[in-house]
Amino acid sequence: MLSRREFAGGAAALATALSTGARAQAPQEVKIGALYPLSGASAQIGNDAKTAFETAVDIINNAHPELDLPLGKEPGLPGLGGAKIRVIYADHQGDPQKGRAEAERLITQEKVTALVGTYQSAVAATVSQTAERYGVPFLSADNSSPSLHRRGLKYFFRAAAHDEMFSAIMFDFLDSLKKKGQKVETLALFYEDTIFGTDSSNVQRKLAGERGYKLVADIKYRANSPSLTAEVQQLKAANADVLLPSSYTTDSILLVKTMGELGYKPKAILAQAAGFSEQTFVDAVGKQVENYITRGSFSLDLARKRPTVGKVNEMFKAKSGRDLNDNTAREFMALLLLAEAIDRAKSTDGAKIREALATTNIPGEKTIMPWKKVGYAETGQNNDADPVLLQYTGGKFLTIFPEQAAVAEAVWPMSKS
Amino acid sequence: MTAQIFLQIVASGLLMGLIYALIAVGLSLIFGLMDVVNFAHGEFMMLAMYAVFGAVVIIGIDPLMAMPLAVAALFVVGATAYLGVVQHAMRAKANIGMVQIFATFGLAVLIRGVSQFLFTSDYRNVPAERNLLGGKTIELGGVFLPLPQLVGAGISVLAFVGLWLLITRTDFGKALEATREDAGAVALVGIDKNRVFTLGWGLGASLVGLAGAILAIFYYIHPDVAAPFALIAYVTVALGGFGSVFGALVAGIMVGLAEALTATILPPALKSVGIYALYLGVLFIRPKGLFGSL
Repeated sequence: MLSRREFAGGAAALATALSTGARAQAPQEVKIGALYPLSGASAQIGNDAKTAFETAVDIINNAHPELDLPLGKEPGLPGLGGAKIRVIYADHQGDPQKGRAEAERLITQEKVTALVGTYQSAVAATVSQTAERYGVPFLSADNSSPSLHRRGLKYFFRAAAHDEMFSAIMFDFLDSLKKKGQKVETLALFYEDTIFGTDSSNVQRKLAGERGYKLVADIKYRANSPSLTAEVQQLKAANADVLLPSSYTTDSILLVKTMGELGYKPKAILAQAAGFSEQTFVDAVGKQVENYITRGSFSLDLARKRPTVGKVNEMFKAKSGRDLNDNTAREFMALLLLAEAIDRAKSTDGAKIREALATTNIPGEKTIMPWKKVGYAETGQNNDADPVLLQYTGGKFLTIFPEQAAVAEAVWPMSKS
Repeated sequence: MTAQIFLQIVASGLLMGLIYALIAVGLSLIFGLMDVVNFAHGEFMMLAMYAVFGAVVIIGIDPLMAMPLAVAALFVVGATAYLGVVQHAMRAKANIGMVQIFATFGLAVLIRGVSQFLFTSDYRNVPAERNLLGGKTIELGGVFLPLPQLVGAGISVLAFVGLWLLITRTDFGKALEATREDAGAVALVGIDKNRVFTLGWGLGASLVGLAGAILAIFYYIHPDVAAPFALIAYVTVALGGFGSVFGALVAGIMVGLAEALTATILPPALKSVGIYALYLGVLFIRPKGLFGSL
């Protein structure tokens, strides 16, 4: 039986709760959940991503009039009364099931407004499903599997290119070499066995067939293998004109080390980024594969035309000791784009942010990427995210393709042996 | 498949197999001694890799010279793990097996976490300019034998010979054997069971430390590097027979060869299938493993 005093107390508490609820409509803080591998075999990627997000948070929450970026000028989100962005990190260890559980926790416990992630495409597949179920927008920062935006999800968005766009430019480049009289006939596919490698190889296999290249090796290998000797042996026996690897950092390092040990010097490497765009890869084995080429979403060469790119890179480098790369640049941009949409939505409601994302229209010059613009198609994919090809030469990545973005002529084949 | 490719596969499988054997033997030794499966075995290996990396970067010596340091450091780690964790876990009154599993598993998680905190999650590599063997390879009739693996396999064989001499020719070896036969009875003849266990853990960790020191020459290093190796070590121990030193050697080589062969015949993504098929086959015929006595 409720006494009068208890009832009065309860009512007062309820009233307080309600008024706090009303005040919370103009939040001081907007929480965004970031899902990354912070431990496990890809932990380094996740920890670099954290630095990229910290750089973006600095730009959003503080005034940076020197930067020509969305939300650079004013502190916080003007559309939400100057609310600050806070990123809440969750560790999925590269495991799709952990990704699903962490996404659920971020949404239900931490009450995040939106999600960003996840590096591994396999994890993005489960995270985006969970986000869809709760009506929370998920912006894929750095996943490249084309299958991700073909599942009819309404809350899935991706500003960067996917592997069909990336692979198309790779084959455009090969075609252009052929026109110049280079001998480019045979290809070797080498890809890891999760969704990233499998999707990438499917696209490449299809393109090779359409454009008349011959596949002399098609090797799917087990990710994080203790040894890649037998696999490299097969690559060596095939000795293709171009080797096309789709590998994360650990396997990329082991691949190049094993190539050295087995005396295999590929004529050319055209990589589906991932491990091949990481500073740690370059530090470990870069010299052994001088002049390899990788696709990328980002190029530091852009800083020559756009001073903002150089300034953001300096901010990032001050925190991490590394230059921005394919992955960290996309992560940085993703958080900025997410915040921009929340600002325009003037709300932390999932459906309203979704609408804001769907009507995004930002010219490429207002980003740090070589993109035409940011605007999402029905599928959630930005089809104007033009990729570039970078060649690792003399300790630096130089843009070599497409021609309008190139700063150097490609060295081909990579070794004169 | 040409004869040359076949020879290359056999050579690569053999070299890698000898390293797998060295990783597994410490695990087998500890299990044989006291029926404890050490789930932190792979993490011990990772620590040894960082010890080598640290010695190369900080002191500036070649990884080969750093090997004894890593082995000594791991002896201390192993003995400390026993005295600090396992000894207490063994005092459990009920569910002793479970307690031991969780104790060593927890130790593994702790070591991994602390390593990531201290060493960061960056992928490290022993710098090429301070690495006499790194990246070098010799060619015999079209078969490539990477020097680090070749030397590593040689060291592994020497370690097995040394271990065999230690067990059969020394008082410590006899005490080890006796304790493993009957840990209760040895107390009657004046052998301190606890001391033998401590030294046994130190020895087991040293052996995997040696394996880690060899791997550090040609493999990347990060806090989670040991997971795939540890998995192979458990299969190797089960295949060779729990507690059998010779079994670990034979099984390690078999696993190395099976892996290399499967990766060539089947799609390489399925190469661990070969290892587990081999294990299942042995399990059907000899459930206690090839050289198991339990």
